[in-house]
Amino acid sequence: MGTITGLEHAPTGARIGVDIGGTFTDLVLADGRGAVFHRKVASTPAAPEQAVLEGVAAIIADARLTPDAVKEVVHGTTVGSNTLLQKVGAPTGLITTKGFRDVLEIGRLRTPSMFDLQWEKPVPLVARRYRKEVAERIRADGTVLLPLDEAAVLKAAQELVEAGITSFAVCFLNSYRNPAHEQRAADLIAEHFPQVQVTSSISVLPEAKEYERTSTTVVNAYVRPVLEAYLTRLERGLTDAGIDAPLLVCNSNGALASSGTAREKPVFFISSGRAAGVVGGSRLGEALDIKDLVVFDMGGTTASASLVQNGELTRVSEYEFRAGISTPSRFIKAGGYMMSVPTVDVAEVGSGAGSIAYVDQGGLMRVGPVSAGADPGPACYGIGGSRPTVTDANLLLGYLPAQLAGGSRALSVDAARAAIARDLADPFNLTPEDAACGVRDVVNANMARAIRAVTVERGVDPRDFTLVAIGGSGPVHAADIARLLSMPRVLVPASPGVFTAMGMLAGDVERYFIRPFAVKLADFQPVEAETAFAALEADARAALAGEDVAEHLMSVTREVDMRFRGQEMSLSVPYLPDRDQLHAAFKAAYEAIYSYSSSDTIEVVSLRVIGRGLRPGKIDFRAAHARVEGSNEPASIRHVYYGAEQGHMETPVYERTRCPARIVGPAVIEGADSTVVVPPGATAEADAHANLLITLA
Amino acid sequence: MLDQTDKTIDPVTFAVLKSAFESIVDDMAYTVMRTARSPIVRDVLDYSATMCDAKGRILAQAKTVALHLGAVPDAMEAIQRHYGDDLNPGDVIILNDPYDGGMHLPDIFMFKPIFDGAQHIGYSVVICHHCDVGGRVPGSNASDSTEIFQEGLRIPPLKLFDRGVRNKTLFDIISKNVRLPDLVIGDLEAQLATCALGEREFLRLTEKYGIPMVEKFLAEFLDYGERLVRKAFATWPDGAYAFTDYIDGDGFDESEIPIHVTITVKGDHIGVDFEGSSPQVKGAINSTLSFVKSATYLAVRCALDADVPNNAGLYRCVDVSAPKGTVLNPEFPAPVAARALTGYRVVDTVLGALAAIVPERVCAAGEGGNTVVCLGGYDTQTREPFIVVDMINGALGARATRDGIDAVTNPSQNMSNMPVEIMEATYPLMIEEYALRDDSCGAGKTRGGLGVVRQYRLLADEAVMQLRADRYAHAPYGLFGGKPGALSRNLLSESGNFELLASKVTRNVTKGTVIRHEQAGGGGYGNPLARPPELVLEDVLDGKISPAYARDGFGVLVVNGAVDTPATAALRSAMAGEQA
Repeated sequence: MGTITGLEHAPTGARIGVDIGGTFTDLVLADGRGAVFHRKVASTPAAPEQAVLEGVAAIIADARLTPDAVKEVVHGTTVGSNTLLQKVGAPTGLITTKGFRDVLEIGRLRTPSMFDLQWEKPVPLVARRYRKEVAERIRADGTVLLPLDEAAVLKAAQELVEAGITSFAVCFLNSYRNPAHEQRAADLIAEHFPQVQVTSSISVLPEAKEYERTSTTVVNAYVRPVLEAYLTRLERGLTDAGIDAPLLVCNSNGALASSGTAREKPVFFISSGRAAGVVGGSRLGEALDIKDLVVFDMGGTTASASLVQNGELTRVSEYEFRAGISTPSRFIKAGGYMMSVPTVDVAEVGSGAGSIAYVDQGGLMRVGPVSAGADPGPACYGIGGSRPTVTDANLLLGYLPAQLAGGSRALSVDAARAAIARDLADPFNLTPEDAACGVRDVVNANMARAIRAVTVERGVDPRDFTLVAIGGSGPVHAADIARLLSMPRVLVPASPGVFTAMGMLAGDVERYFIRPFAVKLADFQPVEAETAFAALEADARAALAGEDVAEHLMSVTREVDMRFRGQEMSLSVPYLPDRDQLHAAFKAAYEAIYSYSSSDTIEVVSLRVIGRGLRPGKIDFRAAHARVEGSNEPASIRHVYYGAEQGHMETPVYERTRCPARIVGPAVIEGADSTVVVPPGATAEADAHANLLITLA
Repeated sequence: MLDQTDKTIDPVTFAVLKSAFESIVDDMAYTVMRTARSPIVRDVLDYSATMCDAKGRILAQAKTVALHLGAVPDAMEAIQRHYGDDLNPGDVIILNDPYDGGMHLPDIFMFKPIFDGAQHIGYSVVICHHCDVGGRVPGSNASDSTEIFQEGLRIPPLKLFDRGVRNKTLFDIISKNVRLPDLVIGDLEAQLATCALGEREFLRLTEKYGIPMVEKFLAEFLDYGERLVRKAFATWPDGAYAFTDYIDGDGFDESEIPIHVTITVKGDHIGVDFEGSSPQVKGAINSTLSFVKSATYLAVRCALDADVPNNAGLYRCVDVSAPKGTVLNPEFPAPVAARALTGYRVVDTVLGALAAIVPERVCAAGEGGNTVVCLGGYDTQTREPFIVVDMINGALGARATRDGIDAVTNPSQNMSNMPVEIMEATYPLMIEEYALRDDSCGAGKTRGGLGVVRQYRLLADEAVMQLRADRYAHAPYGLFGGKPGALSRNLLSESGNFELLASKVTRNVTKGTVIRHEQAGGGGYGNPLARPPELVLEDVLDGKISPAYARDGFGVLVVNGAVDTPATAALRSAMAGEQA
């Protein structure tokens, strides 16, 4: 546990943010009186709410509060992703247009790797026997070619219910142009079979592309009963613990919503919490007036990166859930469960502190993606692991203290040295220290790929960006990774190890509404768009009201999705009620990303409204201040090795809470939840808000 | 223990640069996808991207069309032949002529030589399948042309940019000779943007590490690839292994076209010779030798470990030969537009031969390559042209321990499919069915994958239809007792009754015509009687196979949704008797 003071905007009672990870559940409590507490408890994967409830009780005690003082609990849940990973969703059925029951299984045909004849296609979430076709057909222009066979809908539903199906997905071809048939079928099923749940495709994704829409709908139907049961258990547990406060859930897009919304549309919450660190990073940047940053998170088995540009999070409109670790290439629309929902664009690589280093058959040093995890753990843990990991390399080089954060476990430098010598140094005729440097260099290059994926691949030059390092291991590697990409600065927040949970308290409520609006820009009529926008805004305000957002805290923005004729991907541009201005805005946005433009026809694809519910009590990083004045005396001096060129250097080690305001590298700064490495030539400055800003030479 | 004394680059820099290059080609591939204009590139993803060293040797390859890149060395030779040292900063070269470095006319190669100062250090390379390059049939892909001159605009290696100056003449000639200039020029722009990105990122590496270090890396990276390949070949038993597979016909003549291969394994090297294959044919399925090499490398690569880098190190260990004047090495001016099909069959044939060497690493034959459906014409009212190039994929054959895959890209391509709703919103047609094809899998201990069915209805007044299918007469083979997959079929109906078409057809069609393709299924692997009856039952319950096929193909009797165990045992023992 630990505390930081002053991290709050306006006192509105105590608020708790909870981030459930594979190993630890992190909690942050802002007490409404200016203090912020944090705590880690062991996760309970079989019933995640147990760790949450245990942690909530503990952190309330830490803060010397009573349960009734808690005004809000915000959390990111892995229940959605685990349901997909372990295939423990509801028995799900699909009703679709005659001729198209296999759309879900055919998918988009691609495979995630080339030259791999042994690949297995993911098993569809709805087996073919539970995918039923009914006669009906809407044309591409929305007119009806064949009326809905209502008797067939009921017959199919009856058969599926008899087969044990409890959750239905309904997706008809071209329903995005005319939802009448789909809506009617969903209503019929709900009316005749009140015991089952029904998700219609247009209720989650009123957009073209039948596979993406069907898959999104099916994921929703599949996960829904499981997430609902979990949220019910959690809310009951909180109530039993005396907490009478709303439960908010983070969606995949980094925003918050009521648990009621999560129950109804769980497909928007599959990556719940993953983006909270990015939201926190963007808020932190806002507080420090740093608008362009890359949030880099490094954990035990994976590292991830996400871009914040001009203060805005970058979003993608679809992503795939797949077992195992994503490869750094996002160029693989294949091999997972597709969801077309707005999602913060997070690129992930299979490299983390526990990644195992080895020499491959061709004599190449490799690190990961196999991880020693927490069990058997790195060699230096001495609990069964014998293969060298990134943590072993960091320990041997002197970057890490000889005990785990918080002092819970002593680490053996000798065991790390032995593993590195045997598996890496001897085969390459290197010293163990040089081999360990090699492990760091290789893993840093791998992790840099995640950052490249969200910058270079998007036409963004990372040199203009600040790297925000979070996660237990992020600050150990961030400075070197920033140098690899010529990024000038690294920002390490006050509590990098629990920053994701902190980010949850920094989020706003958001709801999105979209309507297809296909027209050439030249024929675009602002008057018609006004009508459509007004309807979307009414929907957005109603939805925000449903989330208990007060009218004066609502903010609604309009966007237009446009593209050059014939392109697949569209770009969203803030709406301006003028054709010429839209034209100019689109061209500028396009050129900024792709560095060329075109004189071709521009098409409007859809209109979009984003409703935000601003949260008065959210964490304001500007209000934070460091509690303890710095001391110039290091806590200790360590012998740290920085590679063949720089060799060993006597490196001062400071405590995070007591470090001087300005430190010239080399230095190591140890906190309760993470270690920060300031390499030779770099300068770290502690600001008034308890952050460290490292400037690279 | 590895000997490091003769290493020219330290292992860490090596690993770091390897990761950097792999990352650059990913960046490039993503850029093409985002910026391309035509559905064939942006949806079907018929393109590829790579980085080469200054000698044109492939360093890394993005996860795009695998079959393209083995042809880069021959294209590079053509550029050398035409330009020698006359390559300068700011140059961009394109080509598509199959008799001068290309593969078939729709595939336009783009090379951007990369210079660090005055020193030429590498190339960005992007190959895109363009939706039209002129010629007698929309889509420029017909199988029934008889000479290259009917197939469209031939581009020898030419500078699209010369020292940074746009070659207006060339752009204008292309624009005037293709049916959809906006899309073709748009896709060329996407290629340009991608080449520029590759160049920028390559230069960042030379800036950071210096040219000598990068060059050392490039040399060592190819050696590293070669080392891994040789290590694998050394474990393969020496000997000669032959296999024959077939293409149904060339669109003029229904007589079979054999592809014959002999793989000779000797130590850590293999020879792949196509002596005994068909003489070149009248129709457009002739394939350049460069493309045959590409297909061969691909098949061999599939039999190697995932760790082997996708670079030119592999090519050094494999000798590919095919006699001049054969369908695999034709003489000018033989037509080649539909050569993709021949490439697929080369892959099938080489995998068939490899089955005797590494049986656990290969699969039985799949659907045999995508079926191409082109519909082109003009809107009667607006006179605006439309061209649909749709590619129907695919089924993977059975593996030693795994079933084949139902509906998947051919491993040669990694292509996608066009969304039905996008097609219907964009083109004057309706898709009436897109489904797995029941009973199309070859029986085996592990079964083949199911092919797909796709049925179109034309809504325009008229169009030229060009259909290229295969596996119409020669089914995808099974392995080790596994049965072949189902044959493919093309069907057409003008008034409600379907007629069976030939495997390759070009004809005019009118409004309301229904075109249906039923794709071949994958072959099986191992004796079907050894397949666990409960797995057969699962497929029956899913309607993927009928009870009749369960009985006749696998000897499993399914009655009322359950396996009749005693009757199944009796049937299987009788069938085993017949097998013996």
